[in-house]
Amino acid sequence: MTPVVECLVAFLFGSVVGLLMQRSRFCNTAALRDAIMFKTYRNTKAMLMAMMILTVGFTGFMSLGGGHPMQFDVGLNTFAGLFLFGIGMVLAGACTVSTWVKTGEGNLGALWALLFTFVGMFLFSLAWSWNWWPPAPQTMTGEPNLPALQLGFANARTLQDKLGVPAIVFGLVQFAVLLAIYRAILRRERAQQAKHEQHQQETAGQQA
Amino acid sequence: MEFFRKTLDPVFALAAIAILDIFLFLLLGAWTVGGGETMMTGLMAQAVLGDDLQRIPFWNIVFPPHADYWKIYISLGMFFGAFVGAVLSKEFYWRLPRRPSEWLMITIGGLLMGIGIRMAYICNVSTFFGLIPEMNLGGYLAISGILAGAWVGSLIYKKILEG
Repeated sequence: MTPVVECLVAFLFGSVVGLLMQRSRFCNTAALRDAIMFKTYRNTKAMLMAMMILTVGFTGFMSLGGGHPMQFDVGLNTFAGLFLFGIGMVLAGACTVSTWVKTGEGNLGALWALLFTFVGMFLFSLAWSWNWWPPAPQTMTGEPNLPALQLGFANARTLQDKLGVPAIVFGLVQFAVLLAIYRAILRRERAQQAKHEQHQQETAGQQA
Repeated sequence: MEFFRKTLDPVFALAAIAILDIFLFLLLGAWTVGGGETMMTGLMAQAVLGDDLQRIPFWNIVFPPHADYWKIYISLGMFFGAFVGAVLSKEFYWRLPRRPSEWLMITIGGLLMGIGIRMAYICNVSTFFGLIPEMNLGGYLAISGILAGAWVGSLIYKKILEG
């Protein structure tokens, strides 16, 4: 595929995603924040649904050697970076996706968050050029590199190669775990609903 | 059209996105946003600084700016799709945060997101819709990080809302 075709495919994918996000009001930040702060799970369920489908789809194709899995070493920087990101997205009230989607709806606050995401990236590029951490992709080996706080590279495909078990088997285990979380949320919602109805009946009884 | 009048069930929307993401994974790679945003940062910095950008090693070694990087166009597509959706459903209007505290939180939040993405080499989208489904070790590190961060962020957010 030529770069132009790649960019067109990506734009088409992004457009459909943006449309579906806008129409469904899905927000990745809300999926985590609302579950933590308000114990509501509208977005959390949607996120888990996507993760279940993707786990089976990706590991299925990875068993056959297909797809383009991401390939880079991970380590402490992966945890620490997403920790900072997690604080940032709750404060900004939007993540990488919803900043674009909300900007498309005319939300100037989201555009402001987006601009400062760029600023943050540029600031980090300066810091990186000074301390060279985390290691550049060219120096990644796939093996643990403890002085650089790196654990190396592993995914369903490397598990398949090392253990001789198809990647989809691990995928199905992960699918079962995600499904258990999804069902626990449904149970919790039913309990909340029952409590809510009971409360309404009680107040109705008091008024009568 | 009904589609532009009623809010779509997010479970349905995300299931549809997941199926499209599987096709993207087969063609190019899983859905991601942070990489494209980094490239945009590089291109903007190049437009401002010109050849001086070469003096910052990060932009030579890790992300040499290229306009034909496919990940950029996912983000532009999301903006375009959301704009079309908002206009057709008559939901497009200018919105502006009112309180100065909101502007401050958005500014700090944006900065932390940008720094976090670059430190981790991934964003939240790659975490949930790329690395975890690929069962990449980094996905589990990232999800622990983002859950801890969202929890701390929620505590700060509550404090500011109540204070």
